[in-house]
Amino acid sequence: MEKVKQLFRPKPIVLSNGKQVQPKLNPMYYILPILVFITVYSMNITRFSFATLIARGEQFWIIVSRMIPPNFAYFSNVVNPLIATLMMSVVGTLVGVILALPMAYASSTTMNQSNVFRGITKAISSVLRTLPVLVLALIFRIIFGPGTFAGTVAIALFTFTIMTKMFFELIDTADLGPFEALLSSGANRIQAFWAAIMPQLWGQYYSLALYNFEMNIRNAAILGYVGAGGIGIILNERLAWRVYPDVGMILLVLMVTVLIIENISRTIRKKLL
Amino acid sequence: MMSKKKLTVQEVLENAPKSWPLKVAITLFFIIILMIANNYISYNGLTDTGVRVARNILRSIFSPNMDYLFNFSSRSAVPFLLLETTAIAFLGTIIGTVISIPIAFLSSRNIVPKWMASIGVSIIVVIRTFPAVVYGLMFIRVTGPGAFTGVLTLSVASIGMIAKLFIEVIEDLDPGIIEALDASGCNTIQKIQYGIIPQLLSNFASTAIYRFEINVKYATILGMVGAGGIGAPLIFAINAFRWSDVGALLIGLILLVLVIEAVSTKIRSKLATGE
Amino acid sequence: MIQFKDVTKTYPNGVSALRGITLDIEQGDFVAIIGLSGAGKSTLLRTINQMIKISTGTLLVNDIDVTSLKGKKLRRFRRDIGMVFQSFNLIKRTTVIKNVLAARVADMPFYKSMLGLYSKKDRMIALEALDKVGILEKTYTRADQLSGGQQQRVALARTLAQEPQIILADEPVASLDPVTSHQVMSDFVKVNKDLNITVIANMHHVDIALKYARRVIGIKEGLIVFDGPSSDINEDILTEIYGRQLSEDELMGEE
Repeated sequence: MEKVKQLFRPKPIVLSNGKQVQPKLNPMYYILPILVFITVYSMNITRFSFATLIARGEQFWIIVSRMIPPNFAYFSNVVNPLIATLMMSVVGTLVGVILALPMAYASSTTMNQSNVFRGITKAISSVLRTLPVLVLALIFRIIFGPGTFAGTVAIALFTFTIMTKMFFELIDTADLGPFEALLSSGANRIQAFWAAIMPQLWGQYYSLALYNFEMNIRNAAILGYVGAGGIGIILNERLAWRVYPDVGMILLVLMVTVLIIENISRTIRKKLL
Repeated sequence: MMSKKKLTVQEVLENAPKSWPLKVAITLFFIIILMIANNYISYNGLTDTGVRVARNILRSIFSPNMDYLFNFSSRSAVPFLLLETTAIAFLGTIIGTVISIPIAFLSSRNIVPKWMASIGVSIIVVIRTFPAVVYGLMFIRVTGPGAFTGVLTLSVASIGMIAKLFIEVIEDLDPGIIEALDASGCNTIQKIQYGIIPQLLSNFASTAIYRFEINVKYATILGMVGAGGIGAPLIFAINAFRWSDVGALLIGLILLVLVIEAVSTKIRSKLATGE
Repeated sequence: MIQFKDVTKTYPNGVSALRGITLDIEQGDFVAIIGLSGAGKSTLLRTINQMIKISTGTLLVNDIDVTSLKGKKLRRFRRDIGMVFQSFNLIKRTTVIKNVLAARVADMPFYKSMLGLYSKKDRMIALEALDKVGILEKTYTRADQLSGGQQQRVALARTLAQEPQIILADEPVASLDPVTSHQVMSDFVKVNKDLNITVIANMHHVDIALKYARRVIGIKEGLIVFDGPSSDINEDILTEIYGRQLSEDELMGEE
C-alpha cells in the first residue's frame, strides 16, 4: 500500500526559505475511482438496467395509486393480525432484553475478568447476531410450527443478540468507584454489580429496550412472510392476489401504529435519559 | 429567632416518599399486556420434525457441502451468491445515499424554510415506517424477481435512515466556518467546497458505511422474498431439508457479515479520528 | 487488633510498595498515615481488607490470617471493615438512603438484594447511621445534589451501616475544602470515640492528620519511619518522612 502511495505522491512544495512541505495525497484520488469501479462491477452482477427502470418505473406509481384510497372495510381483517404483531414484539422484546442482561454482564470487560469465558460468550453472540431476523423466523417456524410462537422466539433471540452488544458496551463505561466500595464492604461481584453499577445504567437500559421495541414492530410485521404470524401473513397474501386497496389498508394501519408507538417511545425515552 | 426542630429517625421513616404506586402501575400494565399476549401466542409444542430440524441445522454448520461452499465459478454456488448479496447491498447504499443528499438538504431547518423542512421530514418518516420487505414485495411487481429489484428496494428503504442521519449532520453544521470564508471573500461555490463539504464528508461517509452493514443483512432477507442474493437459495435449501447446503449457505452468510462488520468498524473509526 | 509482621508487597511490574512493615493497631485506635504520594500509604491500607494481597509476611486482623481468606469467608471478613474513599464512590443518580442501604446488601440473601427488599432493621440501621453523621435531613435527596462534604458524610454513614469494627479511610478529605474537611474529620473522631471503631486514615494534609489523630505513622518508600503519638511529631521528623520541607499542598489550612 505504501509503495502504491509513493507512486502517486504529489510533488513537495518548496518554500521561499528552502523548506519542503509534503502535501498529503488527497484521498479522493484513490477512493473515488475505487467506488466507481465497484459500482460498475456491482451493476454488472445485479444486472442493473436503467432501461428496465425507465420502462417499468411507472408501474411502481401505478401500484401506489391503486393503494390509495385504501379499502377501509378491510380494517376488521387487519385488527387481529396487528395485535398479534404487537404482542410478538412486546413479548419478544421483553424476553430478549431480560436475557441480555446477564449475557451482557458476562461479556463485559470490566465485570468478567476471565478472558477465555468472555471471549467465548462474545464469539457466540457475534455469530448469532449475523443471522437476519427473517432467517431465524424461518428456522423457528419449521421447529415450532407456523404461528406467532415461532415469530416471538425469533424476535426474542434477535433482540437478545443486539441488546447484549449494546448493553455490555454500556456496562464498560460505568463508574467503577461505587463497585469497588461495595466489594470492600463484603458483597460478591454480582451483588456489587446489581447495587452499584446497574443503578447508574437503568435509564439507559430501559431506553435501549424501548428502542429495540420500536425496531421490532417493523421486524415482527414481516415475519408473517415465512409463516411466523402477524400482519405479514395477510400483507403477503393480499399482495400476491394484487388486491391493492386492501394492501393499502394494511400499510396505513401499520404506518399509523408505528408512528404512534414511536412517538410514545420517544417521549418516554427522553424522560429516561 | 427560628428554632430548628431536630429530625428524628422515626419521623424520617414515616415520611418516606412512596414509590410503590408507580411500580404497581407498571407491573399491572405488564400483566395486562401478557394476558392479552396469551391469546395471541401459544406454544403448540414442537412439530414432528421440529427437534430433528433443529439438530440438523446445528449439525449442518459443522458439515457443510464443501463443493457448494467453495465453488467459485458457478453463479449458483455460495461464493457468487455472497458476492451478489454484497453487490446488492453496495448499490442500494450508494443509490440511497445519492438520493438522500438532496432530500436531506431540502429537509434541514438551517437550509430551507421551516415549512419545507417539515414536509421533507414527514416524507422521510413515512418512508421509514415501512419495513424493507414491503418495498421488496412491491418492487417485485415492478421489475420482477432478481437482484435488480433488490437494489431498487434497498435504495428506497435506505433513504429513511440515511436522510434522517444526514439531516442531523447538516443541522449541526458550524456556521462560523462559513462566516469566516464569507469574510475572506469566497463565493457560494467556494463556500460549499471549503466550508461545508469537509465538515459533512466524513460524517456522510460514516453513515453510508453503517447503512451498508445493515443493508447486507437486509439484502439477505430480501433474497428470501425473491430479490436476489443468498436469501432465496437459503429458503429453498431449508424447506427442502438439504442440510449440507444449508450449512454451506449459513457459514457463507455468517462469514460475510462478520467480515463486513469488522471492515466497516475499522473504516468508521478511522473516519472518526480524522483520516 | 491489627498485626503486621514484616509484611512486604511487590507488584507484578516490579515495584516494591511495602518493604517490611511491622505494626500493631489496637481496637479503638485513631491512626493517621502520612507520607509522600507513592510511599505506600494506599497499598498499606488496602492490604488490611485484602483489596490488595500481600507478597510476604503475616497480617492478622483479630487473630485471623488475612491471606488465608477466600470467597465467602473473605466477604464475611470485609463486612466488619468499612472503607471510605477520596472520591466518595457514591452512586450519583440514587438517593442518599439507597446509597447507605447498599451497605446492607452483602449480608442479604441473593434474591432479596436483587429486588431491593431491605428489612425494617436494615432501614433503621441506615437511618441511625445518617443521624450519627448529622445528615438525616438529606435522606431522600439524590446523591449528586449534595456538596462534597455532605457526600463524604453519606459515604461515612454507608460504612457505619455495615456496623464495622474498623474503618479504613483513603485520603477522605483530600477533595474537600478546609472548613468541610474539619467537619468530616470531627465526624470520624466522633465515630471513633462513641462506637470504639478503629479508624485508620491515609492523610494527604499533615496538619489535619496531626490535629485529629492520636497516633501517626509516617511511611517513606515502603517502610515505617515514624510511629508514635501525634504530639511527638516535629519538623525534623516530618522532613525525614517527606524527604524535604512540607509543601503548601500538604497543609490544609485553618478552619
